[in-house]
Amino acid sequence: MNKTLLIIQREYLSRVKKKSFIIMTFLTPLIIAGFYGLIIYFSIKGINDKTDKIAVINQNKTLTEQLASNKNVTYEYVNQPFDKLKANLNKSGYDYILLLPDFDINAPKGIELVGKKQAGLTLDGRISDSIEDLIRDYKLKRSGISQKDLDNLKSNININTKKISDKGEEESSSAGASTIIAFVAGVLMFMFIMLYGVQVMRGVIEEKTSRIIEVMISSVKPFQLMLGKIIGIAMVGLTQFLLWIILTFSISAVAVGIFVNKEDAKKIVANSQVGPVNPSAQQIQKAALSDGPIGNIQQSIQNLELGKIISIFIFYFLGGYLFYSALYAAIGSAVDSETETQQFMMPVMMPLLLGYALSLSVVTNDPYGNIAFWLSMIPFTSPIAMAVRLPYGVPAWELGLSMGILIVGFIGTVWFAARIYRVGILMYGKKPSLKEVFKWFWYKN
Amino acid sequence: MLDVKNIVKKYSNHIALDDVSLNVEQGKIFGLLGPNGAGKTSLIRIITQITAPDSGEVIFNGKKLNSNHINQIGYLPEERGLYKKMEIGEQVLYLSKLKGLSTAEATKRIKFWFEKLDMGSWWNKKVEDLSKGMQQKVQFVATILHNPELIILDEPFSGFDPVNADLIKNEILELNAKGTTFIFSPHRMESVEELCDNIALIHKSKKILDGSVDEIKASYRNNTYTIEFVGNENFDNNEIFEIEERSEFKNVSRLKFKLKSNYTANDVLRFMLPKVDITHLEEVVPSMNDIFIERVKTK
Repeated sequence: MNKTLLIIQREYLSRVKKKSFIIMTFLTPLIIAGFYGLIIYFSIKGINDKTDKIAVINQNKTLTEQLASNKNVTYEYVNQPFDKLKANLNKSGYDYILLLPDFDINAPKGIELVGKKQAGLTLDGRISDSIEDLIRDYKLKRSGISQKDLDNLKSNININTKKISDKGEEESSSAGASTIIAFVAGVLMFMFIMLYGVQVMRGVIEEKTSRIIEVMISSVKPFQLMLGKIIGIAMVGLTQFLLWIILTFSISAVAVGIFVNKEDAKKIVANSQVGPVNPSAQQIQKAALSDGPIGNIQQSIQNLELGKIISIFIFYFLGGYLFYSALYAAIGSAVDSETETQQFMMPVMMPLLLGYALSLSVVTNDPYGNIAFWLSMIPFTSPIAMAVRLPYGVPAWELGLSMGILIVGFIGTVWFAARIYRVGILMYGKKPSLKEVFKWFWYKN
Repeated sequence: MLDVKNIVKKYSNHIALDDVSLNVEQGKIFGLLGPNGAGKTSLIRIITQITAPDSGEVIFNGKKLNSNHINQIGYLPEERGLYKKMEIGEQVLYLSKLKGLSTAEATKRIKFWFEKLDMGSWWNKKVEDLSKGMQQKVQFVATILHNPELIILDEPFSGFDPVNADLIKNEILELNAKGTTFIFSPHRMESVEELCDNIALIHKSKKILDGSVDEIKASYRNNTYTIEFVGNENFDNNEIFEIEERSEFKNVSRLKFKLKSNYTANDVLRFMLPKVDITHLEEVVPSMNDIFIERVKTK
């Protein structure tokens, strides 16, 4: 046991002391904080953004009502020929010219928007919504509905989604926030298992190619060497993950303190509570996630019990990592160089990739469905599937069962891999076939 | 001190060791010889407990070989290496701690050996900055540092220049004089004659020869001599010996001959002295190299 500790120590220190580890560990939170900062920056800028000023030339004889300006678009009706205005657009002080020709009210066409620059998708949506509203209102009035009734028709909807927790309390949550966290958790889990699993494989190959392996196993048992390597690298991963969390939070806090003044912060919250001005534009924004209600997300993150998520995440990282890294160690032992690993990587990568792809698509759409359930039980996919499901809330019994299966799973793979490993590390020369590798499993020691 | 009894080791498609027994005496240098693929490495791996035999047993100091013996054995494999990115001192420290030494004791001994073998300034160097010969020296130190009772050296001199080979040879002899037992598996038979007390020859998974180097060589004497003389005599068809080779250099003639039965070297001298001036007479003793090649070829 003492020897395993020595191996863990070496594997850990030799990696943590590397320049690349130190750079990665400190750079990544900066990048994350920078990304976070950008989101905040743009959401503030979005609020302060000047509104587009649009000159409207109305040649339509039916639509006599004017388009209503709002905080994003100001419409000014002008009485100038279209061509003349177009020629003088730069001096006119307008951003765009909107031409409403004399079209049939039942088949509106020929509407033109000319500007100094190409109008974006958002602006396009806003203007067509305004025109649609205008036409709809006209038609409604024509069929005898009064202006008062029309005003009454409009209502502001902002859905506040809530979920009843296990303890029966209501928690406000936001599907958007959960989805973002689910994505981040899924991607992180996949990355961690891949990155550190491959590190185990590289470590084993390094010992083989540098020919130190035989010296080592005349002192320690192959199993001790393999386990020491796996645990040592797991601790490197854990160190990196915890440092990332601590650094990301502290850098973000400092950055928010410095760059965001209180006025802006209030505006962000205020903005997040402003209802949808017009639905389709809101949808576009939602898709882009750039103007999402940040206040809501922060609130939801707090409600999601970040501490609990992080500790369960760490459990699944360790479980998934142990499960896969043992297989990676077996692959490393079977080959002489990294270029030979491809053939063996495939069968190991497939379930991981499948779990990743399904988790980020099917599971995020239906976190309580059958597929989500099975993916989070099978140990090949459960680390990623559970990481994705966590933010939506997972019943305690499912969590317990899945954790239990994962523990049994990684004990299984470690045992399996150790039997391959002890033979593989002493084999040099010819690249073995998959069939031969499985034969090693049955070798007597 | 080491008794290998009837070891059999099979791999899926061949037998690596077929009923091999041998005995390594305390304080001796034992040569384990054999052509490539004969089964030497398999046997060494069993003694170092890297693998286990299918049948047979190994007795170490009167006890069945077990994991407590790992720290009493030092092994320098033929396929050897070091962690490339690790500093030399740290690396040797790590390897010797794995053999059960405390940090303080290991550090003390490393300093002693580094000083002794001209490696004083190497502590903070990385392996990738060292030449192959320098790496071999580091590996040698790592092998002997925990004062093992038995040291197994597979090809210890490969990669060394003559000066360092000599340095290592002297360290081996010095350790041996203090009582350390060696198993030694060289490809060059010269070093066997220089160093080994006893040998065993393994060929095609079987032991085909063992015993002390002197006895084996003696048993391969076959009454062959070379003689050099000055004089015009060809000694063809005499009744004392049969000429196998003849050569002449300037005025010196050289004969290689085999004695006929019942004659000795003295009879040769008595026969030739009156006729020519003899300058040199020597018995042709087969070298280990010759014996090795002969045994491996005839089997």
